[in-house]
Amino acid sequence: MSEPAIVIDAKRVSDLLDRLPAGEASALPEALRAAQAAFRHVPREVAAAVARRLSVPASRVFGLATFHGEFSLFPKGEVVLKVCTGAACHGRGAPTLLDELLSKLGIASGGTTKDLKFTVETTNCVGACAMAPVVSVNGELRGNAEPSAMAKELLGGRS
Amino acid sequence: MIAMDIDGRRVVTEEGRTLLDAAREAGIDIPTLCHHEALEPFGGCRLCVVEAAPADSRGPAELVISCLAPARDGLVVRTASERVKEARRTVLDLLLARCPTSDVIRRLAAEHGVPRTSFPESTDGSKCILCMLCERVCAKIGAHAIGGAGKSRGKRIAAPFDLAAEDCIGCLACARICPTGHIGYEETDDERKIWGRTFRMVKCEVTGRPLMTEEQRSFEAKRAGLPEDWFTKCPESKRRETAETIAKAFEEVR
Ligand code: SF4
Ligand code: FES
Repeated sequence: MSEPAIVIDAKRVSDLLDRLPAGEASALPEALRAAQAAFRHVPREVAAAVARRLSVPASRVFGLATFHGEFSLFPKGEVVLKVCTGAACHGRGAPTLLDELLSKLGIASGGTTKDLKFTVETTNCVGACAMAPVVSVNGELRGNAEPSAMAKELLGGRS
Repeated sequence: MIAMDIDGRRVVTEEGRTLLDAAREAGIDIPTLCHHEALEPFGGCRLCVVEAAPADSRGPAELVISCLAPARDGLVVRTASERVKEARRTVLDLLLARCPTSDVIRRLAAEHGVPRTSFPESTDGSKCILCMLCERVCAKIGAHAIGGAGKSRGKRIAAPFDLAAEDCIGCLACARICPTGHIGYEETDDERKIWGRTFRMVKCEVTGRPLMTEEQRSFEAKRAGLPEDWFTKCPESKRRETAETIAKAFEEVR
């Protein structure tokens, strides 16, 4: 198996940069969001290029990239699973669900599988307690199922 | 003109000053950790807390952050009341839990009657109290080389991507302004090491003493629109030269 990697090709970076208003510091969050969406993380070289494009100090880019949970300095999986740990979900099997996901994938909470397919995180209450236990799958909410069955389904054929 | 009562003394100050400014101008000491005259007030450490009440107020005085609170006419301010001392002890109790290895914080806490913290101590060994003085002074200088990274309990001061700080000019302002000595550096007559960088020193052409880093010289020259060779002598040598020039001029006149 070859090393999985997220290709940071010059074309995609320049596309991203071209869409940013030059010298406009207020576009920084938007720029990082675009980088996160394109590369599933904020690559260092992209952050540096964004800093130059927006005339923002690299220290500020780094500060923002490490402050917001939506940004990550390391590539996230193709599928990001966020297990809700709110009270209702906890009561309806979220810990079991989380444990099963983590042990099946062999990662720790917040971690990503080596092949960059899955990232598993926890989240505070997402406000969908009626469908507990809730998991956000790349932003879409799923729930209303028995924890083990859900874990199996979420990971597809993978065991 | 604004007239206030601070600790029973009449203190006069101007519009736009803070309670801390006014107190210090009157020689009344309020402890601070995140305050610096050259920088904007920040209100991060909360150590400068005081009690303030409008003269006509029938309600209780409020605890306010003196480095931020504007001076207002008729305010009655108490900088060392029991309530203020208690609030300050809480602040120091927390800071001590954050930085149990900092001598500065330990001493300050002890002086205020907090020999040990009542909270669980942080074990990361960091002496950083997140006063952000380093980030703020670096930004004020215009280098913006370092800053806060992360958030919540994981917040820390870092160079971008935890690599050598590319924008650093090696001026040491951050290390010198840091109240707890958290920012380490190494220095010889020839070089300076900080934030993962090694800087070569420019020497005074008269005394041979280290003057500033080469990067600092370029930075200052660019900012002031001066040639780089403007910075060739240490202030002492310059003063001596000026004095000699004046002395010579007098001799000629005589
Ligand atoms: S490193 Fe020092 S100056 Fe910077 S925030 Fe921490 S305590 Fe303040
Ligand atoms: S000096 Fe006022 S909050 Fe730090």
